[in-house]
Amino acid sequence: MSLPDRIPILGWVWEDLLFLTFAGVMLGAALLVVIGRNIIRSGLWMILSFGALAGLYVLLGTPLVAAAQVLVYIGAISVLILFAIMLTQSKEGPSRLVFHHQAWAGALAAVALALLLALTVLGTEWPQADGQLRPSPSADIARLLFGEYLLAFEVVSVLLLAAVIGGVFLAKREDLPDPGEAAIEQVRLGSSPGGPTGYTSGGIGPSEADAARPSGGIGSTGAATTPGALGPSVGMSGRGDAP
Amino acid sequence: MSVLARPWSRLTPAGKVVLPLLGLLVFLTLALLVGFATGLIPGLIRFVGDLLGANIGIVRFVVAASAILLMSVPTAFVIIYMELKVIALMNLRLGPNRVGPWGSLHSIVHGLKVLGKEDFTPTGVDVPVFTLAPAVTFLAPVLGLLVLPFAPGLLGIDMNLALLYFFAVSGLSVLGLMMAGWSSFNKYSLLGGLRAAAQIISYEIPLTLAVVGVIMLAGTMSLNQIVMNQSGSILDWYMFKQPLGFVIFFIAATAEGNRTPFDLTEADSELVAGFATEYSGMRFGFFFFAEYVGVFILSALTTVLFLGGWNAPFDIDPVLNALGIRFDLALDLARLDVGLLFLLALGPVVGTLLIALPIWMLRSDWSFLKSLVIGFILLNVLLAAAVGVWLALSFEAVVGLGWFLVKTYFFVFLFVWMRATLPRVRIDQLMGFAWKWMLPASLVNLFVTALAIIVVSEVR
Repeated sequence: MSLPDRIPILGWVWEDLLFLTFAGVMLGAALLVVIGRNIIRSGLWMILSFGALAGLYVLLGTPLVAAAQVLVYIGAISVLILFAIMLTQSKEGPSRLVFHHQAWAGALAAVALALLLALTVLGTEWPQADGQLRPSPSADIARLLFGEYLLAFEVVSVLLLAAVIGGVFLAKREDLPDPGEAAIEQVRLGSSPGGPTGYTSGGIGPSEADAARPSGGIGSTGAATTPGALGPSVGMSGRGDAP
Repeated sequence: MSVLARPWSRLTPAGKVVLPLLGLLVFLTLALLVGFATGLIPGLIRFVGDLLGANIGIVRFVVAASAILLMSVPTAFVIIYMELKVIALMNLRLGPNRVGPWGSLHSIVHGLKVLGKEDFTPTGVDVPVFTLAPAVTFLAPVLGLLVLPFAPGLLGIDMNLALLYFFAVSGLSVLGLMMAGWSSFNKYSLLGGLRAAAQIISYEIPLTLAVVGVIMLAGTMSLNQIVMNQSGSILDWYMFKQPLGFVIFFIAATAEGNRTPFDLTEADSELVAGFATEYSGMRFGFFFFAEYVGVFILSALTTVLFLGGWNAPFDIDPVLNALGIRFDLALDLARLDVGLLFLLALGPVVGTLLIALPIWMLRSDWSFLKSLVIGFILLNVLLAAAVGVWLALSFEAVVGLGWFLVKTYFFVFLFVWMRATLPRVRIDQLMGFAWKWMLPASLVNLFVTALAIIVVSEVR
């Protein structure tokens, strides 16, 4: 006696149930990303949404894409986003909603986008799935990526390289250091810009912890929302007197 | 009520344990008798067997998932004890020596203590995130266990993309650390979490790039297949074809597992306990377990990728044949007939006496009872050793598991050794090392490997 092929009352295949679960989790989490006030929670919901999307990729028979999704989007991109948020935001409360006064413009844009999407979805001739999904082996994907789509692949890598160089340039920009920072620079013996991504070299070292003021709380309110926030010149705290 | 309560209160604590157990035993015996008499139990067994047999895929998955969860705890216990004892011996101290022989049950008591501690949530924390963080941190290394090939045929899932899966799920641990660091509402925790993010993401790049050389040589990402490619002589191990990759991988793994000299995330002299500062009780225990399971899986992955996994370094059969030693392993106990009954009845008694009597005669200050107990324990140890040898000689998987564990625990020992020896690096040294040395070195390794593969294939 094994499990029936279809779910008794609903008449779905089991994959349908999994698909609906993953899709529901993904959409629900994505909604929570947008409507949440706590920005860190939004980031975590986004990670859940990415994870459900990886599950969908597995259901579609592309485990390689799913693994890349988890590795890149959850393991690297989301973590970097959370990292940036933690460096720049305060725990003591949600920061002022900077987009609040653009609510009407935002609503208009959303409606326009929804209309466009609906038109596209309705206007596209969707191919029928042939029922049986063939898992695509990684060798095939590699052959396509480095054969047919080699030019696109290289263009994307050049774009990423440009982004990295731009990030390094922004992070290395010489600003006039404020006095507190100069003191930290002295404590931080031989600070050197570390690497391509920019967050390095004592930026999260113990010296800042020592310099932190008791009233500063965690990661001084909105101290560093400027570009290059991840750069070596930004301290964790101790700049609580910024706006 | 008082009719039962008064005799109950007169019982000693041991009696209060034994009496319910006796009742349970009697009940179970009766239930079994009735069940067998009515044919209910055999029918039930057959039904469950059929059900499980028909859904073998689901059963396999559930068994694999439970097995990795269950094995993670004793693994962590063993490594915790090893860390305490080995570092103590290296420091010329005694180390744990109170519970069990040579203190070997110490870490179990540690675990029970952690379970019994108060589990409190400080004011101001982000409660759901704070609660989930230890689970996420613990889940990541445990999920990694699912694809590790322990022995021939002994692995959770033979996944085609095992290596990619491994890096994907072990990357989740940094998420737990960041969640813990942020939600604790404490600047030391936050610093620990941020350091964890910076460090683990930076070292993930050389870690992954060092493995690409192995993937190119093996032509597959399945860990099982990678191990099988290394069978043959010891020279087939990728350690010798990828020496630079091996070194880079091990150093990056040290940073990935937050181990000394790269344990900046919970540097106790700077950050109290880093991301784990505000945690207590079993939630702290989860971080603790996660670290040691992480040490195990990183050692195991090093073994699988570079040291041939469960392959033996040398073939033992020719050596035995040259020495003229042969084992007749076809144990056929049924051949003994009535003798088997006598063996079962008298074997333990005679064996115990045979060991106990010489001990009693040699140690005149021991009572006979004491030497009997010692003799019984020794007999059990000898029998267990004999069964182990028999298993190892009859089943390939047991030998493979043995070699795998020996190699893995060698690397665990190396991690512990480094912790006892090396001082912690500074954060700028850590990041500079990752980006200025490890990353170029792993790229060089990648290009040299690719070049070597092309040259070798052209020459052939």
